[in-house]
Amino acid sequence: MSKFPSTPLPRRGWLLRAAMWLLSLAVFPVTTARAADDYVLGADSQRQPGVPEGTVTKKRWVSEKIFPGTERDFWVYVPQQYKGTEPAALLVLQDGGAYVDPQGQFRTTIVLDNLIHQGAIPVTIAVFINPGQIPATAEGQKPRANRSFEYDTLSDQYARFLLEELLPEVGRELKLTADPAHRVIGGISSGAICAFTAAWERPEAFGKVLSHVGSYTNIRGGHVYPSLIRKTERKPIRIFLQEGSNDLDNLHGSWPLANQEMAAAFKFAGYDYRFEYGDGGHNGKHGGALMPESLRWLWREHRK
Amino acid sequence: MPLRRLLIACLFATVPGLVAALHPGLARGQDMALSGVLIDNEGWQLVSQGHKFTEGPTADAAGNVYFSDIPESRIHRISPAGEVSLFASDTGKTNGLKVGPDGRLFGCRGGDRQIVAYRPDGQFEILARDVDCNDLALDDQGAIWFTDPPGGRVWHLPAGGDKKIVAEGLKPNGIGLWEGGGTLVVTDAQLPVLWTFRVAADGTLGSKERYYGPLQIPFGADRPGSDGLTLDRQGRLYVATFAGVQMFDPTGRLGGTIARPQPGPLSNVCLGGARFDHLYVTAGDKVFRRRVQATGRSLQKAP
Repeated sequence: MSKFPSTPLPRRGWLLRAAMWLLSLAVFPVTTARAADDYVLGADSQRQPGVPEGTVTKKRWVSEKIFPGTERDFWVYVPQQYKGTEPAALLVLQDGGAYVDPQGQFRTTIVLDNLIHQGAIPVTIAVFINPGQIPATAEGQKPRANRSFEYDTLSDQYARFLLEELLPEVGRELKLTADPAHRVIGGISSGAICAFTAAWERPEAFGKVLSHVGSYTNIRGGHVYPSLIRKTERKPIRIFLQEGSNDLDNLHGSWPLANQEMAAAFKFAGYDYRFEYGDGGHNGKHGGALMPESLRWLWREHRK
Repeated sequence: MPLRRLLIACLFATVPGLVAALHPGLARGQDMALSGVLIDNEGWQLVSQGHKFTEGPTADAAGNVYFSDIPESRIHRISPAGEVSLFASDTGKTNGLKVGPDGRLFGCRGGDRQIVAYRPDGQFEILARDVDCNDLALDDQGAIWFTDPPGGRVWHLPAGGDKKIVAEGLKPNGIGLWEGGGTLVVTDAQLPVLWTFRVAADGTLGSKERYYGPLQIPFGADRPGSDGLTLDRQGRLYVATFAGVQMFDPTGRLGGTIARPQPGPLSNVCLGGARFDHLYVTAGDKVFRRRVQATGRSLQKAP
């Protein structure tokens, strides 16, 4: 262990050596028991007795306007506390299938049930959206996976898809608030930069961002955000930014460095942000473990 | 137990792990870097020179590569061994070429405003007249889609049928189909993206999208100079540009730019050779090739 000095200790120092040996015994199990990326879900991510369970409805959307020809699944979560009299707060998550899974890394609907029941966050409707796919029309053809195009492209196209197509569809039956402070958008990996781009393009529609191991790298030019944030008049966006030191480093860039640059840019430009930099990899374990805390923080004014 | 946790963590830290966990259909979209295509110490080799302007590289089932010299009105053939021979002359400034499933060489005979099909003896049949055709793509049934830069259009010419406009309002140039058809890619002279369409059974186009991009633009240039394109069997797309050959993965993300063999723009690219593992580029007065890890295919059905 490099923590110990390499210079030989004096003969008289046997007591010190014995003490250090004992110390090493004490230290060693601690350092190995906490392996990198060893995040576990807390009580707010488990079903609790007496907490009302919201409903989740799976739906399908075929886009005709913004991403013409794409088909996708999406899920709508409605808490029992929603009565239809007042508009609900909104949480929009990309790669929805991963976030809505009650056995997955995030268990968002369970977290929402618990936090709404506790009064930690407002009554919130969540929309979980998968990326689109243009299906093959004949045997032997490949479908066109639209995830990278929709998520990694820097433009207002995905925000317009939400605001002009998908959310109006959800809003036909449910009352959603128009207050950007109660409209959170989030995602993981490319879904995270997608969420940030939607807020960046339309901060009046999405005032809060939840970013898990976000791809602020050069997949489709997203590495420009840190400099853009520094050189653009500050936008009214609150950001919870989660990243891990063991995240990807590949042809598109270094995820840990890119997220540190994002955090530094938010700090420089005076954004309301929180950076949680752990030791996880490119997955939802850390973000999932933090899910209750991140939603509390994004809605921190809610609890009186 | 800690070791097991570490192993599990490592497993989940991989990209395929996340991709598969998020969306099973995305397994195809793994990162495709240039390191998966290029081979150390296998650079560009000069195959043919002394031409005026080369275009239209395309391979037959044996891996022979045909290319046009537009101003000289000639079509040449490169054997897998690298020997160059004259295939046809007086070609009416034929530009884009594609070997079809029947083994004929389909070409844009620009000087005569025709689309033709050359037989192995160099004689040709006229398939369409009064057309502006820069480049063309064929499917496995021999149906043609071709670009019309002056008109800003893409046309469809079914085998034995009549041509019709299937896209307008573009600055189209290069064109290519995904293996198996169904998705058509068109390069645009003015944009840092490539257009992608869904091909319906009747050959018409829908789901227009700026799917591939952004392309690299060299410092000092105002556009990438996208020209001809080709695809490999893994679904990667290669497009000839000012900067070199830009390679994209099947999800439309730039994997990297292969350096050009000499200063000046590239006009077109294809995969050929006996094992279809040589990348050919037409570059002004010359044609180059290099061995790669990727493999392509010919539309020509094996005899």
